[in-house]
Amino acid sequence: MKKSCIAMLLAGGQGSRLYALTQDVAKPNMPFGGKYRIIDFPLSNCANSGIDTVGVLTQYRPLQLNSYIGGGQPWDLDSTDGGVFILPPYQTAGETGSWFSGTANAIYQNIGFIEMYDPDNVLILSGDHIYKMDYSKMLREHMEKDAACTIAVLQVSMEEATRFGIMNLGENGYVEQFEEKPKQPKSDLASMGIYIFNWKKLRKYLIEDENDPDSSKDFGKNIIPNMLKAGEKLWPYRFDGYWRDVGTITSLWDANMDMLSTTLINLYDPSWPIRSRSVAQPPHYIGEDAVVEHSIVTEGCVIEGSVENSVLSSSAVVEKGARVLYSVLMPGAHIESGATVEYAIIGEGTVIKSGAHVGAAPDGSDEWGVATCGPRITVRQGAQVKAGAMIYKSEEV
Amino acid sequence: MSDFHGIIFAYGAVPELGELVKKRTASSLPFCGRYRLIDFALSSLMNAGIHDVGVIMRRDYQSLLDHLASGKDWDMGRRIGGLRMLPPFGLPEYHRGDYTGTIEALNAVSTYINDINAKYIVMMHGNTAANIDLRAAIRQHLRTGAEITAICTEDTPDYNHHRYIVGEDGFAHSMIFNQTTAGEGAASLEAYIISKELLLRMMETCKAENHYHFHRDAIAAYLANGGRVGVYYHRGYGKRIMSTQSYFAANMDMLKGEKRAELFPPERPVRTKTHEDVSTYYAEGSKAANCLVSDGCIIEGEIENCIISSDVRISRGAKLSGCVIMRGVQIAEGVMMKNVIADKVSEASAFQTIMGSEKLPVVLPKGTKI
Repeated sequence: MKKSCIAMLLAGGQGSRLYALTQDVAKPNMPFGGKYRIIDFPLSNCANSGIDTVGVLTQYRPLQLNSYIGGGQPWDLDSTDGGVFILPPYQTAGETGSWFSGTANAIYQNIGFIEMYDPDNVLILSGDHIYKMDYSKMLREHMEKDAACTIAVLQVSMEEATRFGIMNLGENGYVEQFEEKPKQPKSDLASMGIYIFNWKKLRKYLIEDENDPDSSKDFGKNIIPNMLKAGEKLWPYRFDGYWRDVGTITSLWDANMDMLSTTLINLYDPSWPIRSRSVAQPPHYIGEDAVVEHSIVTEGCVIEGSVENSVLSSSAVVEKGARVLYSVLMPGAHIESGATVEYAIIGEGTVIKSGAHVGAAPDGSDEWGVATCGPRITVRQGAQVKAGAMIYKSEEV
Repeated sequence: MSDFHGIIFAYGAVPELGELVKKRTASSLPFCGRYRLIDFALSSLMNAGIHDVGVIMRRDYQSLLDHLASGKDWDMGRRIGGLRMLPPFGLPEYHRGDYTGTIEALNAVSTYINDINAKYIVMMHGNTAANIDLRAAIRQHLRTGAEITAICTEDTPDYNHHRYIVGEDGFAHSMIFNQTTAGEGAASLEAYIISKELLLRMMETCKAENHYHFHRDAIAAYLANGGRVGVYYHRGYGKRIMSTQSYFAANMDMLKGEKRAELFPPERPVRTKTHEDVSTYYAEGSKAANCLVSDGCIIEGEIENCIISSDVRISRGAKLSGCVIMRGVQIAEGVMMKNVIADKVSEASAFQTIMGSEKLPVVLPKGTKI
């Protein structure tokens, strides 16, 4: 069945900078903001924008992502003539097959999938961004501007611009030049890694790029520059809402802390629901002597101790006398009595034994880092995990 | 376990629940924040591997239908079998009023019962707050060779019920009616495992004799004719919700850790319709003590000994104590409430004071603004 636009979600990333947290799960499948997984954001955005066909490209630890996405029913992406599809690398007759060697190669290897829907346009998304965005507005602008490619851009400060792919615009407002992490940025418009391509054109450039032995098969490094070189029309779509890349421990922690503010990103808005797959847990219980302030708490949690400025995912436990400050507890994290967790991320199902101390408060100091404990480990009684430390095995402490 | 088929009675007219059942059946009453009472019967069946279930309803079942939908939340959305809604159909004599008793309700859907392929039927009432280990009950039923096993509670009933007097052989040979406190015998939860054959026989006899009640007529006659009823003791929390007061008390029971553990054992999870709500936010200066709170709430004020459903807002300066707050309720600043049941999407405007007592909680009906 012919579609105006389908989405391809690049979820392949191991997230090597999140090492301790992504040992067992792909980054898009990481718990986020109490109730969610990171991939809930692009999937919900698709459903809310009326895009009913999503291919999810993955090659790292696909099992959990697979079982999480399932038939796509939690996001209403289980329609009969569309849906959400996990697309791993595969072998074909007579060939040995190969891993995705770059973002462009991942799409190239799935040309067959895309052609099934004969789409006019293809939306390319990334699985590690936190934002709410109406892709249908971007698509409309893409068509109005008759662009070969429309790139979502965000205005950043000139200092930040050195960390992003930067778009330099011509007088007519179309993109003239693309610079990856420029030392001397000429513009403050940063690429968000969200593209809409005219499919016929993209198909042509993907095939050409695949045949170029020197190419690194990457959208930012190869496809976009090649299109610019050939004089294609590239349009910048300006986005001014909340958007965060959560590729590092600090940015992951920061973005979680942002969830404590409804003014940054309002997740209570019924017109743009972010949906997730969850199994019903009993309501969370706040004990007789518990203190909970400026924090979010999810069902299944049991809090008897004190929790401040923190994000608690489902079924996290904070025992009597335990303290959790400026921290993120992933599902089922268990903080025993007398333990302190501050400025830290505690992985799924990890136990912090009584009297242990994870992380330390910055108290005005600039030199600090978020302490991270990976999933399903035990931090033994009375142990110290320093600020900025990253622990992924119980034996490390 | 295709040998077993579930029947849930959700027609229940329970007048003592007053305002709470004005627009819904007792089975679809919100309970313990995020559940509906019927979730316990459905989850008990699901956890025993019983996926073919008929729900008998009579009227005011819109909220129940909303909640059950296709039954997929209990793994009962099946191509063959699965969850079936059984409103009254076909027979003109059943078109008015309520079902007088369980047997009348069963006879009203007799074509459905006749067509059941399973050998055994598990019957339960939808307004029962109990997480019953039906696998164990079924094992006992099969082991003893009883034609019928009554599931009884060891918990103290606080409503009118009947009791089975258990003989030395472990079977009940007689029963006593109209009990209101703990006493001799085993208190019936009005849940049964019965062979389909016996049930059809009972339905037919009762129809011919114009009898309506399952235990008062059918089982009493069965015992009088020398029949024996197996008794399975359900251990742990087990209450039927028969009045506003028992509804309130059962909710408050859930604030006690050991009772909560009995109703929500990890090995037999209670499933319900999933809502996609955000986590609950506790603002700076908020206070919560001994409360159960669902997702999607914003808590700015003070709550103590409360059960709070999802999507509730408690504004700054509000103080709630001993309250049951249902989905979507808005509590404005400075509101004082004690022992109040606030039904869905009701609103209390600023600086209102509403005081009930534990014995006589005040009910704010669904959608009211005061």
